[in-house]
Amino acid sequence: MRKFKFSLFDFVNYLIFIVLALLILIPIWKVLVDSFNAVGMYQFQIFPNRPTIDGYRTIFETKALYRPLLNSVITTICGTALGLLLCTLGGYVLAQADMPGRAGLGFFLLFTMIFTGGMIPEYLVMKQLGLVDNMWILVVKHGINVYNIVLMKNFFEGIPESLYEAAKIDGCTPMGIFTKIVLPLSKAALASIGLMFAVAIWNDYTTAKIYITNPDQTNFQYKLRNLVMDGDTPNTSYKVANETLQYAGIICAILPFMIAYPFLQQYFVKGVNIGAVKE
Amino acid sequence: MSRRQPRMTSSGQPIRHTPLGTKMWNYRGYYLMFVPVVLFVIIMHYWPMLGVRFAFYNYRAFGAKTFIGLEHFRTMFGEKGFWTAFKNTLELSIWKLLITTLTAVVASVFLNEMNQMFAKKTLQTVIYLPHFMSWAVVAGIFSMILSPNAANGMVNGMLQDMGLKTQMFLQDKTLWRPIFYIINIWKETGWGTIIFLATLSGVNPELYEAADIDGATRMQKIWYVTVPALANTIVVVLILNLAKVMNLFESVFVLYNSAVMDVSDVISTFIYAKAFAANPNYGYSTAVGLFKSLVGGALVLICNALSKKVRGRGII
Repeated sequence: MRKFKFSLFDFVNYLIFIVLALLILIPIWKVLVDSFNAVGMYQFQIFPNRPTIDGYRTIFETKALYRPLLNSVITTICGTALGLLLCTLGGYVLAQADMPGRAGLGFFLLFTMIFTGGMIPEYLVMKQLGLVDNMWILVVKHGINVYNIVLMKNFFEGIPESLYEAAKIDGCTPMGIFTKIVLPLSKAALASIGLMFAVAIWNDYTTAKIYITNPDQTNFQYKLRNLVMDGDTPNTSYKVANETLQYAGIICAILPFMIAYPFLQQYFVKGVNIGAVKE
Repeated sequence: MSRRQPRMTSSGQPIRHTPLGTKMWNYRGYYLMFVPVVLFVIIMHYWPMLGVRFAFYNYRAFGAKTFIGLEHFRTMFGEKGFWTAFKNTLELSIWKLLITTLTAVVASVFLNEMNQMFAKKTLQTVIYLPHFMSWAVVAGIFSMILSPNAANGMVNGMLQDMGLKTQMFLQDKTLWRPIFYIINIWKETGWGTIIFLATLSGVNPELYEAADIDGATRMQKIWYVTVPALANTIVVVLILNLAKVMNLFESVFVLYNSAVMDVSDVISTFIYAKAFAANPNYGYSTAVGLFKSLVGGALVLICNALSKKVRGRGII
């Protein structure tokens, strides 16, 4: 087997990739170490030289900081649920090949990918709906995602019709087929698309920036940005260095997906491939 | 007993004569399931489209809306900042697309050469990581690392230790764009390899065996087998992303500042700045938004046509 040959090519190849991996890890590691460090300094250290958890303690003790974090958790969970509900319903209906008006309904959705009202008209509508300065804007804005509906439709079209034809003949309702047969067959796709929703909502800074100014309604990405870039640190943080608090904030913002991602990597990766190389 | 033969088309398909009304009635359950989707699409997408009419009005927070025809478009096309933003949008998006696609292709070609599965998987896991960070976080990390203050900026601290001049990285007009591209490479290269690696996993191994028999070196095999195998996917990725060129916003918004406006302001940030300035004219921002939407829509349609040509199916 060629497997055991290890040439100069392989050596250089692995070496280059290890350097690249370090270039990715060093900034993240520096942030992690400095979030536990009482005094910030520019050098890269493997371990904190003056360990402290005051940065994290401040985040969880200061309402101005833990409230946005809680909002992020709530909106991510609700938005993912709404997003999955709408994209499975939409995808399932559009996957009905013989349904009259299917092409029209499809175009009705796809037109929104060609033409959009734009930032200001959207803002004015959300204002009328009372969604300005309201964290639920994050849920509804992400909940309806035409691209994901199309992904789901493509996936459902791949399920052999024979699997639910019998149920149809037995008089099972469309909703019954959907919940009892189609959804259980789609767990992997649901996981992939659910993760796509969750990442998009958790990481959304723009929506919060445009629509929310009330500090009680904003999300963590927005608060973090204020904390890091504008030095908008809460008054109670005198006992901890600003840098420590800023780095701890960054870690809180990336932690959920950094923890979940190695375990769920296959679903994340699958999500990309359903979208792109579905042939 | 003779059963009546159903009428056939020339290809032998029976023609069904279910009246449309009956057929739609049979599908009533499905239409009902589609109602929530339609409601959300109307509220979130179609209703705002009506607001596009404000592009032809003077519309301020206080005072009446007055119709002014194409006045906003005249102002827009005469404004230097608008053209700078339009040019920057195209330049930044297209260069970013080309650069990150190139790095992703190179990375996947060489990842594909690794036979040691554990090492390959671990490296993949690491290079995918930055994709899950928000732009707000990435901008936070890099602005701290690139801080002009040598006492806490890692890069400037190191430059100072080596006796070199410190730099105002993100505030420097000549440095901003290269840094913007580097940050994009850092964040998205790894994730970009997924689609190319998927393509490469489908390459027929016989092609490599044939090349072995012909005495090809490793680099020759990469150049003559691996890279051509990716050609089609590269074209598809470029087309798919070309459709999104006008959407560039968040990555610029979190990294730009007033010192580098000339090289970094894009259409969306231009709209944002106009709309959230003091006493904004919403009509004017809407007009610029309409321009962006029309150019973006045209790009989507062009890319859709290209995609149909290249791979037989559209992108929308």
